[in-house]
Amino acid sequence: MMASTIFRGIQNHPLLLYQTALFRRKNGVFYCTMKSTETQTATQEKQKPQIKNPPRTQTKTSDKFSKDYEAVIGIETHVQLNTLTKAFCGCPYNYGSPPNTSVCPICMGLPGALPVLNSKVIELAVKVGLALNSKLSLNSKFDRKQYFYPDLPKGYQISQFDVPIASGGYIDLDLPVEFGGGHRRFGITRVHMEEDAGKLLHSENESYSQVDLNRAGVPLLEIVSEPDMRTGIEAAEYAAELQRLVRYLGVSNGNMQEGSLRCDVNVSIRPIGQAQFGTKVEIKNLNSFSSVSRAIDFEISRQVLLHSQGQGDQITQETRLWEEGAQKTVTMRKKEGLADYRYFPEPDLPGVILTKEYVNSIRDSLPELPEVKRRRYEKMGLSMQDVLFLANDVNVAEFFDATIAKGADVKLAANWIMGDIAAYMKNEKLTINEIKLIPQELAELIASIKGGTISGKIGKEILFELLAKGGTVKGLIKEKDLVQIVDPMEIEKIVDKVLSENPKQLEQYRGGKTKLQGYFAGQVMKLSKGKANPGLLNKILLEKLNAQS
Amino acid sequence: MGSKALLMLKGVSSIAPKNQIFNFNRKSSRSSNSSFSFSKVVINHNNKVRRCSTTTTQSSLEPPDVSRLAETARISLTPNEVEEFAPKIRQVIDWFGQLQDVDLHSIEPSIRADTEDSNLRDDIPETFENRESMIAAVPSYEEPYIKVPKVLNKE
Repeated sequence: MMASTIFRGIQNHPLLLYQTALFRRKNGVFYCTMKSTETQTATQEKQKPQIKNPPRTQTKTSDKFSKDYEAVIGIETHVQLNTLTKAFCGCPYNYGSPPNTSVCPICMGLPGALPVLNSKVIELAVKVGLALNSKLSLNSKFDRKQYFYPDLPKGYQISQFDVPIASGGYIDLDLPVEFGGGHRRFGITRVHMEEDAGKLLHSENESYSQVDLNRAGVPLLEIVSEPDMRTGIEAAEYAAELQRLVRYLGVSNGNMQEGSLRCDVNVSIRPIGQAQFGTKVEIKNLNSFSSVSRAIDFEISRQVLLHSQGQGDQITQETRLWEEGAQKTVTMRKKEGLADYRYFPEPDLPGVILTKEYVNSIRDSLPELPEVKRRRYEKMGLSMQDVLFLANDVNVAEFFDATIAKGADVKLAANWIMGDIAAYMKNEKLTINEIKLIPQELAELIASIKGGTISGKIGKEILFELLAKGGTVKGLIKEKDLVQIVDPMEIEKIVDKVLSENPKQLEQYRGGKTKLQGYFAGQVMKLSKGKANPGLLNKILLEKLNAQS
Repeated sequence: MGSKALLMLKGVSSIAPKNQIFNFNRKSSRSSNSSFSFSKVVINHNNKVRRCSTTTTQSSLEPPDVSRLAETARISLTPNEVEEFAPKIRQVIDWFGQLQDVDLHSIEPSIRADTEDSNLRDDIPETFENRESMIAAVPSYEEPYIKVPKVLNKE
């Protein structure tokens, strides 16, 4: 026991050298500038926060100072990979399983148990690396990051330290139109593979904590951003784009509530023009995009306020927690210098070797990514609002693509999906994959309206039928006898019938109450069961109404 | 212990170029109960023979801070033990010092020791059959959680 401890210490010793070097590199990672203290939310989020940002007097006080400062922000994102099994053992991982049921000697850190890497982890890491335009290391390795904590059974986390699987790169995104829009490119510093720790539960009043090791050993990718972001919105949109990317790639469900996508944000401010970085503060516990944005904005205000009161030295390097209820950040722990993780190469695992052929085969299998999709939609002539809506959810985008592949008009398809279909999904709390309407039928519906077979109004009725029950447009038109009446003679007959049945109104109309045209149109439409072509109807009706006056 | 010593050798071989020959001549030393005293290393590199031994070469590395080492490993040592272990650890560090002195400028670094094949696993779930006995061996367990002393802050 003793001897092995001693060995550990010694083995790590030479590594301390480059550890210092990495920390320096890391320090450069977390910065970007930001001026605004506005608090807004990422639009792509489904749920708007219930708690409105409290109008902070703090913000007001610091507003006049905020223009003198710029914020420097960086994000570390952990993405849980959706493999069937853990990273180094065959334990299945399913979110929500009963505690401590998916465990084995390897993920419980029992003596003598040896890790064996899940090949899927490499595949998914390579996918993400390629999608982020990173440079892949054909030869990388795992390292041990050592610290003591009850959620870490082995006493170390298997991670990648000085040779990550991917480094460099960038991600492109479009800011939402309501925040002024604009295209942004944010740099990526590195992507590395590591294992998750278990889950710790802290009981309120008890003197102990509880550990669930189901999550221990689950594969993660840590994605570290470059210091290119400028605002809380940009940071939130960066996170949203990462979520979009991993969902497009199918490497993770990207669910923030379940912790499958976790963001740690680093924020510092400095007077504009100053080259040196201010003291950075790390914020954790951000489980939605809007909390990313609001936590950053709060933190910037807090730091600007301290500066404006001449208390800039009160900003210390620390980890702060975002409190959703109170809408503020609070100190979690102060850091005394940098943690010494005593990294050293994981001796129980061989190096990670990629061949160029392997990388190329994965590159060839990549789906169309969000940025490429958005640019393609833009070129089709769709507005940015439409582009962002359609490309936001990979399933919606696929539905749209399939619809236009069936020949549907691009703008009409977009309108139907963003309008009635989206509203229906929202009301019924369904995803686009759960509705009964299929792309081919949407294309058929659009063509039927465009071709004059059915009216737009009937089209809507058919749509809701298709959404709820499925079926085909042709079948429904036939079944319900919904074909639009485009024969002028037939419409004329109906008009005549309506006029003869409403002599009083006709008299009033001819006496100058021309507003009654709408009434007549409605009656004709009703009599035709909505099938009369509206254009023809109005033309014929007007002729008839004005004919004998 | 034995496996730890092996780890160390692994680490060494990853640093060392292939054409080097390592000789570990064990001279009996005072730390007879520790099997990790590599007291003499002969390195044949580019036809030059370097002879190093802990008894003759001084390390360029810092001497060990045994108390700190013990703290990072979360073990407690008595002052006597600290005193006893210090020279032994020093020996090993000195040996690393010798390794660091080796001129490797012309050698392409290898990040890992050579391994046979990459040993990977397919992503196929396998449930460990003997979970009960593992759980039974947990010192403090209260269904369904492992109980640990209350902790709130990392590091």
